[in-house]
Amino acid sequence: MSATSAAINPKGPRLRGSASNPFDWLNTYLGSSVGQKILVAITGLLLMSFAVTHMVGNLKMFSGPESINKYAYFLKHDIGAWIWVARAGLFLVFVLHLSVALSLKTKAMAARPVGYAYNNSAQATPQSKTMVQTGIVVGLFIIFHLLHYTFGMVHGIPAADGKGERNYLSLTYKLDDGVVVHDVYKMVVAGFSTGWLSAIYLISQMVLFIHLSHGIQSSLQTLGLVNRRFLPVARLIGYGTAGVIFVGNVAIVVAVWVGWVKM
Amino acid sequence: MKFTLHIWRQPGPNARGQMVTYNVDDITGDMSFLEMIDVLNERLIKDGVEPVAFDHDCREGICGSCAMMINGLAHGPERGATTCQLHMRSFKNGDNIYVEPWRAKGFPLLRDLVVDRSSFDRIIQSGGFVNVNTGGAPDGNSLPIPKADSDKAMDAAQCIGCGACAAACPNASAMLFLSAKVGHLGAMPQGEAEQSDRVRKMVATHDREGFGHCTFIGECEAACPKEISTEFISGLNRDYIGSAVKAAVKGEARGGA
Repeated sequence: MSATSAAINPKGPRLRGSASNPFDWLNTYLGSSVGQKILVAITGLLLMSFAVTHMVGNLKMFSGPESINKYAYFLKHDIGAWIWVARAGLFLVFVLHLSVALSLKTKAMAARPVGYAYNNSAQATPQSKTMVQTGIVVGLFIIFHLLHYTFGMVHGIPAADGKGERNYLSLTYKLDDGVVVHDVYKMVVAGFSTGWLSAIYLISQMVLFIHLSHGIQSSLQTLGLVNRRFLPVARLIGYGTAGVIFVGNVAIVVAVWVGWVKM
Repeated sequence: MKFTLHIWRQPGPNARGQMVTYNVDDITGDMSFLEMIDVLNERLIKDGVEPVAFDHDCREGICGSCAMMINGLAHGPERGATTCQLHMRSFKNGDNIYVEPWRAKGFPLLRDLVVDRSSFDRIIQSGGFVNVNTGGAPDGNSLPIPKADSDKAMDAAQCIGCGACAAACPNASAMLFLSAKVGHLGAMPQGEAEQSDRVRKMVATHDREGFGHCTFIGECEAACPKEISTEFISGLNRDYIGSAVKAAVKGEARGGA
């Protein structure tokens, strides 16, 4: 037998196996504007479900210190290492949502190098045209919120002897079963009894409502879950969910303000 | 009727452009917007000034040639009408009217109000067709198609490719055009077989032509002279997800277009 052909695979490339590179798929589908928008929609809906859960958990403020402190202890202690899995996941989703949305926005800005002299719109809602701006405000608020309550770096509680402030994180509470835990209840009341802090929270909640009132319905449409008949329902779900998050969160701030929830 | 027109004048693709103000009178309410510009151009020619260049062809609202941003609205203030089907009775006597060309990276400006819309042709070339010869007219009812599907295909097929959607979109996205073309063919059994390849290729070409992404602002729907609904964009995304899943599971359809 003589070497008549120099071809490595005279019958052409393999049909299956080595030829398929998963990065091709990623580049094709997640590299396109539609794929990236779908990514923004999915991460957005995940963040929204976090916002709902967070709000519902915080409503435990209304059932007193025992309830909310026990819940906080459960999250931080009882579920063990899962809290770090949840935090890492949340962080990843947040970073993905932000980075992909901003990268799409820069491409969209490049898609119209020369703007119009006369700007007008026929039926666009203001919130739909300001998603990046409201999103950035919400992002900054989340950083502020973490600094305020999670790291206790923004504000303190006046110390008992009247000199200086006590850090939020040093507050303790004794549960009915004798376990000493971090006093979340007192921390929240101290925070929202302060006017300028409450103002920041109220304004941020309004901005979050504006962001979600378009974001939720737009995400549902992006995921292809909406047709002409279902569009009003998608709008209702959007405004409804955004409204529930707004009312729930604002209720806690207002309740502290008017004194329903106090030390 | 009298109007004060502010029209974008630009002698060539790389020349500097600016808004120029013209006064027109002796306009009747029954004149179309293009006829009003014809009147202006007649006068400009008599005065020895270069007339305003603009695209037009059928002047009956079916060709998709006329393309003008009028007071910031694509095809002007009337819903479901092209510029040629917009009549001056839609304006008040003495109005200031701003006329600008489509603005998008995918629509490079050639002159005055004329832009190059061949990017839309390239999007169609990358998948907006059926690859098999469908032959002559088939026997009636030999290929049963539900009425709802045929209505949907006809709704999408109304798209005349004028570019108003991309011009009106704050993101300069041509997604309504794209989704009408994809939705029209995908609703029919002849086009359905190639749908997952079609949607992937056409989206890739759309992005390559420099158009933006869709955030469901809804301006395109209002601008569309054929009143095509954004539900087709939802449908396009649904097909795109289907295409991605199919490609992942079967390992087929790699690469952009």
